[in-house]
Parts: sequence; C-alpha cells; structure tokens
Amino acid sequence: MSDTAVPDSPWAAPPQAASAQPQPDGMQVEFTGRRWTLFWLALKTGFFTILTLGFYRFWMKTRLRRWYWSAIRPGGHPLEYVGDPLEKLLGFFIAVVVLTFYIGIVNLLLMFVSFSVFNSSWLGYLASFAGVIPIWFYARYRARRYVLARTRWRGVRFGLEKGAWGYAGRALVHWAVTILTLGILWPRMTFALEKYRTDRTFFGSARLVQQGRWRMLYRAALPFIAVVVAGMALAVWILVIDPITPDLLSNPGSLPSRFVTALQLGRWPLGWESPERLWAVPVLMAGLVYGAIHYRWVAKRIMANHKAAYGVTFASRLQGPRIAMIYTLGTFISYMVLVLGIALIVVLSISMYGPTAWLEGANAAGLGGFGDLPRWLSFGILGVIYLSVFLLWGVLHNTFVTFPIMRHMARTTTLPATAGLQAISQRDRDAFAEAEGFAEALDLGAAI
Amino acid sequence: MSIGFDAMGAAFFEGDRPVAEEVSLHIASGILQIGLDDGRILRWPVGDVRQLPDTAGKTGAVLRLKDDPLARLFVTDASLLPHLPNRFRRTPPKGRGRLAAWALAAVAAVALQIGVLVPLLADNMAAYIPPAGERALGEATFGHIREALDDTGLNPVPLCEAPEGAAALERLVARLDAPTNDVPQINVAVLDHPMVNAFALPGGFVVLFRGLIEAAESPDEVAAVLAHEIGHVVSRDPTRHALRSAGSIGVLGLLFGDFAGGAAVLFLTERLIAAQYSQEAEAGADSFAHDVLARAGISPGALGDMFESFRRKYGDRDGVAAHFLSHPALGARIEAARAAVEVGAAYNPALSAEDWAALRGICD
Repeated sequence: MSDTAVPDSPWAAPPQAASAQPQPDGMQVEFTGRRWTLFWLALKTGFFTILTLGFYRFWMKTRLRRWYWSAIRPGGHPLEYVGDPLEKLLGFFIAVVVLTFYIGIVNLLLMFVSFSVFNSSWLGYLASFAGVIPIWFYARYRARRYVLARTRWRGVRFGLEKGAWGYAGRALVHWAVTILTLGILWPRMTFALEKYRTDRTFFGSARLVQQGRWRMLYRAALPFIAVVVAGMALAVWILVIDPITPDLLSNPGSLPSRFVTALQLGRWPLGWESPERLWAVPVLMAGLVYGAIHYRWVAKRIMANHKAAYGVTFASRLQGPRIAMIYTLGTFISYMVLVLGIALIVVLSISMYGPTAWLEGANAAGLGGFGDLPRWLSFGILGVIYLSVFLLWGVLHNTFVTFPIMRHMARTTTLPATAGLQAISQRDRDAFAEAEGFAEALDLGAAI
Repeated sequence: MSIGFDAMGAAFFEGDRPVAEEVSLHIASGILQIGLDDGRILRWPVGDVRQLPDTAGKTGAVLRLKDDPLARLFVTDASLLPHLPNRFRRTPPKGRGRLAAWALAAVAAVALQIGVLVPLLADNMAAYIPPAGERALGEATFGHIREALDDTGLNPVPLCEAPEGAAALERLVARLDAPTNDVPQINVAVLDHPMVNAFALPGGFVVLFRGLIEAAESPDEVAAVLAHEIGHVVSRDPTRHALRSAGSIGVLGLLFGDFAGGAAVLFLTERLIAAQYSQEAEAGADSFAHDVLARAGISPGALGDMFESFRRKYGDRDGVAAHFLSHPALGARIEAARAAVEVGAAYNPALSAEDWAALRGICD
C-alpha cells in the first residue's frame, strides 16, 4: 500500500460500503468468559497489588487485559494481548526519569514566579496544570500505540504509526475551537481526533481508514441537544414568562439556597407560583448525563460503521440506552457493595475496640496514632485501608461496568466483509521501550 | 502409540496471514503432530508447548511453541491439554539488565531531584522572593496546615485569640523584637491543637500550638521557643523549606501515581510541621535565640531547660515536639544554651505572673 495516497481514497478501487445484506464471508464477534471469573482475577491481582505497595499493578493490568482480549473473539478466534509486565515497569521507570525533572523543576519555578510576581499560588497551579495538558494528550496517543502494538488476532499484529506530538497539537487546537464555540463544534473534534488515530491504525499490512463526515455525529448528540433546549425553555418559563417569584430575575443566585431551604422545611415557601415546576431541574440534570453517555457511545458506533480496511468493513449495532443502563446499574451496584463493605469494617472495629477507642483513634489520626499504637503503624493501617477501598472500587468497576460494556460492544459488532483478510500479511514488531510509562506516571492508565 | 484429538473448530495460524488453517491433531512419542491441509506436518515436542495464560471462557485454549513468537494453535479439545507437561511454564523474561539500569536511573533521578537540585534552586530563589510574595506563600502554607491538622478535613483548626492572652503574647514578642531591620514583621499565632510543637512559616509567621504553652513550665521556656523560631524567620529557613516542598510534591505525586495523591500530601504536611532543618540552621537559630534572650534580659538557659523538661516528660517519643527532640545533637544544644548564661547577670522572668496566666488561658 502506498503511503502517498490521500486518506479519503487510499485505494485504486473504492472499498465496499457496509451494506445491510449480510455477505457470505461476514464474521460475527463473540464474547466468552464469565463475570465471576473476572471478579476473582481482579480481586486476586488487586490483593497482590496492595501487598506489593502498588508494584504488582503492572502485572494486574497485563493479566486483566489478557483476559479481556481473549474473551473477544471475532470469527471465534480470540484476540491476544502480548504485553509484558516487565516492559511496563521499565516504561514507568523511564517516564519517571524524564518527568521527574520536568515536574519538579518546572513546578518550583512556576511557584516562585507566581508568588514573586502575583503574590498568590493560583497562577502557579494553573500554569503547572496547563503545562501538563499537552503531555497528557501525548501520553494517551503513546499508550494507544503501545496497546495496539501488543494486540494480535490470528497471529497478526495490530499497530499505530508514530505521531503523538501531532496528536497533542491537534487535540489542543480542537479543544480551543470547541471551547470558543461553546461546544457547538464538539462533534468536529470527536471526528477529527478519531480520524487521526484510525487513519494511522494498521492490522498487519492493512491500513484502517475512517470515512464519513463530522456532521454525521450530530445525530448522536440529539438527546443532549434536546435536553439543553428543554433546559433553556424551562429557564425562560420559570424566570421570565411566569416567574416563580417576582424578584427571582433580579436575584437568580438565591434560587439554589432557597431550594435547599424548601427541602429542609418539607414544603415550598409561601408566595411561590406553582413551584412544582422546579422538579424538572433534577430530571434535566439526569437527562444531561444520559445525553453525554449517549453521545460518546453512539458516536463510536457511527464512526465504527464508517471504518474500513481494503476488503474489510465493520458494522456496529451498539445501543446508547443499553450502555447508559450499564453505567447506571454498574456504578450503583459498585457503590452499594463498597459502602456495605466499609460499614462492615467500621462495625467490626467498633465491636473489637469499643466506640470510644475508635473515636480517640480518629482524633489522633491527624498526627498521633490509633490509641497506643505507634504513629508509623497507624499511618500504615490508614494507608492499607485507603489502598483497599481504592482497589475494591477498581475490582467492582471492572466487574459491573467494564465487563458488560466490553461484552455489549463485542456482541454488537460484526464484520460484514472480510474478503480482504486474505491479502493481509504480518507487520514488524514495534519495540517501544517506554511502553505506556508516561500514561501510567500521569495516572491515565486506570482504564483498561 | 498415537493419540488423536478432536480438531473440530481448531485452527493454526502460522503468523503471517490472518487466515485460519484447518488441522488434524495427534500426539505420538512425545511429539504433538499438527497436520495441515497442504500435507505438511508440524512437529512440536510436548515439553516445549506453552498455553497462553489468563484466557477467558472454558472453550478453547491457545497454544504456542516455546521459541516461536508468532505461530499459534487454537484448540477446542480440552483433553489435549493434560498431555502438555510444561504448558504453564513461563518463558524467562528478557532484558533484566536494562530494567535494573532504568530502575537505578529512576531512583537516582528522584534522589538527585529531591536531594540536590530542588534544595539548590530553592535556596537560591529564597533570597530573591520579594516580601509580599513571601507573605502570600506563608499564608497559603498556613491555610494548608490548618486544614490538614483537622481530623475531618472540613474546618481548619481554630486559632486561639482570647484578648488578654493575645495582649500578653504581643508584649512578649515586643520584648524579643529582632534587632535587625531587614526582618519581616513577625506574626505570632496560637493554634488550638494539643500537639507540643511550634514552627515558623515564610513571611514571618510563627505558630505555637496550645499543647506547647500548656507543657511549658515557665514563660521563659515559651520565650525561648519563640526566639528560636524567630531565628529561623530571620535566616529565611521556612521560605527555603516551602519552596523545596513545592518542587518535591510533584515528584512524589508522580511516584505514588495511581493511588495516592493523598499519601503524598499527608507526607508533605508531616514534613512541613516536623520541619527538620539542617544542623547548621538549628544551631544558627539557637545562637540567635541566645542573643535575643540575653538582650531582652531573659535567661538563655531557658532554651536548655525546655529541651530538658520535654525530654524528661515525654522521653524521646515521636509526635511530641519532634522538631526539637529528634535532633541528634540535642545534648550539645542543651549545653550551648547553659553556656550562654552569664554568671552574675540579672535575669527577669519573660512575663509577669498575670500575663503568664493570661497567655495560658489564650485558648479559653
């Protein structure tokens, strides 16, 4: 394949568009594997991570990915994740060496300037945060490149071309444009960044291409737009057309506090004009969250339907409401289990030491210790509890959110045309010394 | 003897094209024979066959040959697996030396950063930061510390501001007032917290804890602590320290990564309060305190008395005035304080009896 081809038409013959008719060489994506197997794997590796003060997390991540990858089986044959925990550890060390100078020295200089010139820390924090943003995009692209380079299907490697700084630059510009247009051009950013990544993605020798136009993503944003319009209409109605109280428009900032007072009193303040209308506000808030989830995933579906390689097409029937339901239920279940677990720990410790011992311990926790325990030990106990809660959350999130989403994504994806697979051959190994070290060090690696 | 296996759904991938080749599977005399459609037979010694770990689902295992990074055999017949004795054995990891080198480099980079570069930069910058900036730095740090000391983390620890006590404290500070001109104005605050401690912050803030005032046996001891902390202010030790921390916190957050911005902040607060200055800085603050106390007509021995009495009362336990007690040269510092007492000089108590009572009640 020639690299000089323009992205929109890289082939001599135009690729076949995804058609509704299943073609004879079409391929289903299966998903095998049970939720509880994954739960135990996540729990076990999470436990090791606590025991090793976090160092096992490279192994944990590798093992979870291996599991997920092997569960996804296009045409019945599993994907394979060949990433190595040791190379992740090495990548983390490399990133620490590079970033430690940047973050330490730059932070110090920024703080100095901020205090010397502006007499406050805010500017320093702001500049320090802003300085990390391009690195953040850079690290995300590099992490994707690493994961793709370590993914195989039917023995053939995936890959992503170099171009992390280009990605970071484009991401910054698109974000700026999106913010300046108050989000109206958000779909343009979504599409452009996805196209940048997809057009550099390979399976073996075959280059993937993102087709379609960015305006097609507005369809995914319809629920969000509807909620925003409804919100504006409601605002006009209760503020201008038929105000709840006459003075509301002159002092709109007082509305939230009055709303809270009303909740505490259990009744609406006198003199309010049909205040039941305010119940629409929490409904609209939930609608906004749904709209955001819907946009994110349905946009993925639309773009997946317009991805293709030579002789290979994709079709996705992913459902936005289903994904939203998984998020809602999964997060709810995770929270419930977590809260119950913590309550159990508290009850146990109270029954062991008595309530006063617990209180005394809590009072001294700032700098003293729990009761008679030495300070380092109580710090250690606090640390382990902190880590445990954190990791338990990760385990539950894997089990109740990541797993069902992966399953839904896999099962709703098909490859209607696969004839082009015959023409694909292996690509070279991407050595990639620093793995996803930057993403790990900048804490982007929490997601699978 | 040869054992045949069900090859329905099994597939071989030679590692070049993503096309499944149908196979027939046999094991004979310790060799796994993989028969391909074109008549070729691949021979894998059973001892060299490995199974990919952490595979989801009960149906299907992926096998590979130990030294072949690409070829994969997907099998559906689980009865084949027990014939592969080493299928769970790992291939030894490569590149240990490189890993060790980078690990060492990472540790060295962090150590160099926290131990040399940041202090060096901070010490130089501390001299150039203008007074207003220094004050802002101190105020910000003081706010963080007050919040961190509170157990709930919601309300900052309150200040003690009973009017009589505050007036007594003001008189004490006025009596100790530093002799040089380039000293920032000293601001003394009392925190309503039981810890026996005191510290100085950038911009001339000196903070005493209620626990210290309660534990002191005489006003002279409080005066001695004050003088010592003012000594730190004069030599700008806290400014250097705060700048160093600003540089170090990012590095620590980076290291602890995933879970624990929280731990890094905890650690930092701990360091700020139990500020361990260098031996020279402590000695400098001590000798400054001796001079100031002597000039104010207060016995410099009070500093030694305070070290002594704290050590007697609390032993060398941590959490108690760690700032003063954990220093290795404590004995020498007590002696230095005693030596600064001039024989025959007339010393007065630092505060009158009423003022002392008022100061002790500053938190009521």
